[in-house]
Amino acid sequence: MNVDVFEIKNLDLYYGPLQALKDVNINIERNKVTALIGPSGCGKSTFLRCLNRMNDLIDVCKIEGEVLYREKNVYERTYDVISLRTKVGMVFQKPNPFPMSIYDNIAYGPRCQGIKSKTELDSIVETSLKKAALWDEVKDRLKNSAMGLSGGQQQRLCIARAIAMEPEVILMDEPTSALDPIATLKIEQLITELKKNYTIIIVTHSMQQAARISDNTAFFLTGELVEYDKTDLIFSTPKKIKTEEYITGRFG
Amino acid sequence: MSMSNKRKKIDNILQGITYLAASVAVVTLSLIFIFVFRNGAGLVNFGLITNDYHAKYYNGGIEEVVSFSQTSKPDFLGDDDFYSEKWGIALSDDLNREGKQIIVVSYVAKDSPLNNMYDRNNQDNQYFNIEEGNIVTSISFFDKNSALSMFGAKNMIDELDNSDMFREIIFSSLGGGIRGSLITTLYVIGLTLLFALPIGIFTAIYLNEFAKKNRVTNTIRSMIEMLTGVPSIIFGLMGLAVFVPLTVKYTPADSANLLSGSLTLAVILLPVIIRSTEESLKVVPDDFRFASLALGANSTQTTFKVVLPSSLPGILTATLLAIGRIIGESAALIFAIGTAVKDDVSIFGKSTTLAVNIWSLMTDEPANIELASTIAIIILMIVLILNVAVKLLSRNFIKRFE
Repeated sequence: MNVDVFEIKNLDLYYGPLQALKDVNINIERNKVTALIGPSGCGKSTFLRCLNRMNDLIDVCKIEGEVLYREKNVYERTYDVISLRTKVGMVFQKPNPFPMSIYDNIAYGPRCQGIKSKTELDSIVETSLKKAALWDEVKDRLKNSAMGLSGGQQQRLCIARAIAMEPEVILMDEPTSALDPIATLKIEQLITELKKNYTIIIVTHSMQQAARISDNTAFFLTGELVEYDKTDLIFSTPKKIKTEEYITGRFG
Repeated sequence: MSMSNKRKKIDNILQGITYLAASVAVVTLSLIFIFVFRNGAGLVNFGLITNDYHAKYYNGGIEEVVSFSQTSKPDFLGDDDFYSEKWGIALSDDLNREGKQIIVVSYVAKDSPLNNMYDRNNQDNQYFNIEEGNIVTSISFFDKNSALSMFGAKNMIDELDNSDMFREIIFSSLGGGIRGSLITTLYVIGLTLLFALPIGIFTAIYLNEFAKKNRVTNTIRSMIEMLTGVPSIIFGLMGLAVFVPLTVKYTPADSANLLSGSLTLAVILLPVIIRSTEESLKVVPDDFRFASLALGANSTQTTFKVVLPSSLPGILTATLLAIGRIIGESAALIFAIGTAVKDDVSIFGKSTTLAVNIWSLMTDEPANIELASTIAIIILMIVLILNVAVKLLSRNFIKRFE
């Protein structure tokens, strides 16, 4: 069995006349945490959104090259985007629970896939919240609005919501940048826990975070993948001078 | 120092102007309200809302009295109610909605011979009776002068007591009520929203969520915006030219009717509803849309399960604005629904809404400004109740989600 979930080959991405990704080649390993680091505007979030085709929503966005998910190109004309997104979940920078109850938030995805049975949904909600380490905090108020939760709880709810779809990959776009250090710590613990069952790709601005939780790290700079290796190697003995300059804080 | 003094002076003048402007606005609005309430408050009562507008006139006659009434004056009647024990009827003096003196029936005994009259206008109509609340205009006798309402209730009762027979009693129901117009208004609100809300909301959803953002969409949007500025009387003409013939052709209607009026109003409201719904869709954060799409929902599911519920308070406000506009609209309806005040409302018949009723009253000779003001008060009340209701609803809604 192939250990790589994603194989990206010669990926170019343009926002109108601007080229945001330049010839990116990268393989993402199964059941590992892959961190994408780099200065703002380097294309790491854009790259992340290529993996579940969220860039489709931007009109001027044009993509060339291949993104192979389980050896199939997701940019193939006939590829089923809906099923891709059920297999590749996403957690956003700002916690964005729906203005519904906690229960309905988790049940939203499964319901959209046509699951109606109450018992089935109940068990999905419970296991998802347990996996996201949120169950004990909210089990007595599942019918309350998700908007009443704290920022950290909301973000874990978003993770639970993604887990409810039983994805294989979870994409995280700076999931802790809007959170305080304690909430951040909880999310990081959660990511380490989730690694056992899911492949996680996380965009982060914090190099400490990348060093703490990730197995592999990719360093992006002005749309190019500069270096991609085991996290300890990147942070101890980077091969490229740009990488060294960035992780030692000389720019960015 | 002098510089800062000058600055201070300018500041004071500018502030003064804002105070002045605000007080002029408040005083003007208050004066309008005071005017309306002073003119109309006297007529506000429950009967106004439930009564017919058109009084019904009856000429009652009697053939032969078999037995006179035996009932003595009931305790609940006061000194102002003059009672004839012989005829079993109590009358009292009152003023009508135009301020004229009238005589009102305040009680009719069960065994009154007046319960067994015949209609002099229609001989078949037996057991024709006079009721409490009716207005007696005159009673004419065979052997003496008639008792007219201008001589008062006491005179009329005395004349009755002195006679064993009369030729004719002319009485009428109390008219001037607005029940018909009120029901018409409610019908028109219901029908108009029935047409305008679904079309408006779905158009807004299409424009904001599904339509490609290109020149065609923008042209449609600016055309819709242009329509909001068209005077409603032009829509009224259109209603007369399009909807009235259409409804006449395909429904039992034979002239301007409730349906054609509602359709015309729906066309007037469409741009308003589309615009405000679009505005409320626009303020729904894209985060919700992204989150939903990233969960594998398609764009239809995203729109109807996440975006639309989130924009409900805005749509509710749009609905309120629409209802306010329906209640207030008169120019377009004069053509599209007619100006005849009707008591029997039917969807396919002519009738008037409250606002057009005001117009009708003020174009009468003489203009009935009291009743017009009373209707204005009722319209204001309805708008107030609507406002409060929608505020409460949307507050509840927001509380649930924030």
